[in-house]
Amino acid sequence: MRIDLTEVTWLEAETLSFDELLERSGMSIKLLQELVQAGGIEPLDPAAAQPLYGARALTAARRARRLHEDFELDASALLLVLGLLDRVAELEGRVHELQVKLPRMI
Amino acid sequence: MQYKDYYAALGVARDASEEQIKQAYRKLARKYHPDVSKEPDAEAKFKEVAEAYQTLKDREKRAAYDQLGKHRPGEDFRPPPDWQQQWQGPFGEGSSFSEQVDLGDLFAHLGGGFARGAGGRAQMSMPGRDFEVAVPISIEEAYGGTHIDLDLAMPEYDEQGRLRPVPQAFRARIPKGATQGQRLRLAGKGGRGFNGGRNGDLYLDISLRPHPIYRANGHDLYLDLPLAPWEAVLGTSVEVPTPGGAVRLKVPPGTQAGQQLRLPGRGLPRPRGEAADLYAVVSIVLPREASDRERTLYRELGEASSFNPRAHLSEEGSHAH
Repeated sequence: MRIDLTEVTWLEAETLSFDELLERSGMSIKLLQELVQAGGIEPLDPAAAQPLYGARALTAARRARRLHEDFELDASALLLVLGLLDRVAELEGRVHELQVKLPRMI
Repeated sequence: MQYKDYYAALGVARDASEEQIKQAYRKLARKYHPDVSKEPDAEAKFKEVAEAYQTLKDREKRAAYDQLGKHRPGEDFRPPPDWQQQWQGPFGEGSSFSEQVDLGDLFAHLGGGFARGAGGRAQMSMPGRDFEVAVPISIEEAYGGTHIDLDLAMPEYDEQGRLRPVPQAFRARIPKGATQGQRLRLAGKGGRGFNGGRNGDLYLDISLRPHPIYRANGHDLYLDLPLAPWEAVLGTSVEVPTPGGAVRLKVPPGTQAGQQLRLPGRGLPRPRGEAADLYAVVSIVLPREASDRERTLYRELGEASSFNPRAHLSEEGSHAH
């Protein structure tokens, strides 16, 4: 028998406190603090007294945790890799956008 | 228990050195890690590689693994009689191997067993595993929302705190507004926590299947709109399909190839707010063969027209001198 799942949440719609980001990412507090302080994981409003984090930060934090565990990367290496992966995603997005806007037929 | 050949997974000999094992892992991880790889099935392949490395990089675990002997991958086997006593790990006195124990889970817990001794795990609270699943949907399903059936093997803890895959059948609602790269979270629907630990979450990673007509960029949709030369010059009204039903689109006179004609609100709905737009990308196409009459008319048109499509080439060329 199938269990109906109806309580879905768009990740993009969620905002998380630092503690929630920590719990959901599964990362160590020290590593997460280092990545946040160095700007590798950014809050939605850096000027806010109690910074909140969005889907982008959660995705980056979960990715950082995987890369840390699987490649034994420290904070410096993670910052570099996260930055490069962001850049790759941005470029792939631009290529995709151009492909979508080009007519397919000759 | 099903046997897995960890040496084969890493592509190394059974007598490989620690350095060789590490090098093989690094090479395969670089190729298959889901965060950096574009290989098909990268995630599944990386899981095999990572599981093999977690065991073989640890001297004690490797020794325990080697004592299981060599079997065919996938072959059902039971560890030698004295193995359980020697590598007691997470298994308490009197406990026995279940046929369902996964070799990877067994070795993942072996380290904890060395450190804490039998029964130590049972005192701990552990959060349930998060589980991510790729969910490809069609553009029509993204437009109208849909339900998908998921048959998952969710990693869950048993009474002793050992992870094992538990079959779970879900029917998940994908609301309107999904598009490529978006993620949905189903709180607490991942693996169950152990001993009071919170349940994990289930993440659905949405992707859009290629469509014969539409191309999606975010929530905007694009389709090709081929026009005959005279339609582009004189303007026309054409019927174009949209996910919400066909609509008439007015093509203004003098429409150029490559222009995008926007149909507001005819793209994919956004999770909150208005629907995105649909763009008809104009291309001007010619019949493969022209009749004599058509040739005559084109010839007359050429003689009557003063249009020079390459004027900018001669102007730019003369500026260069």
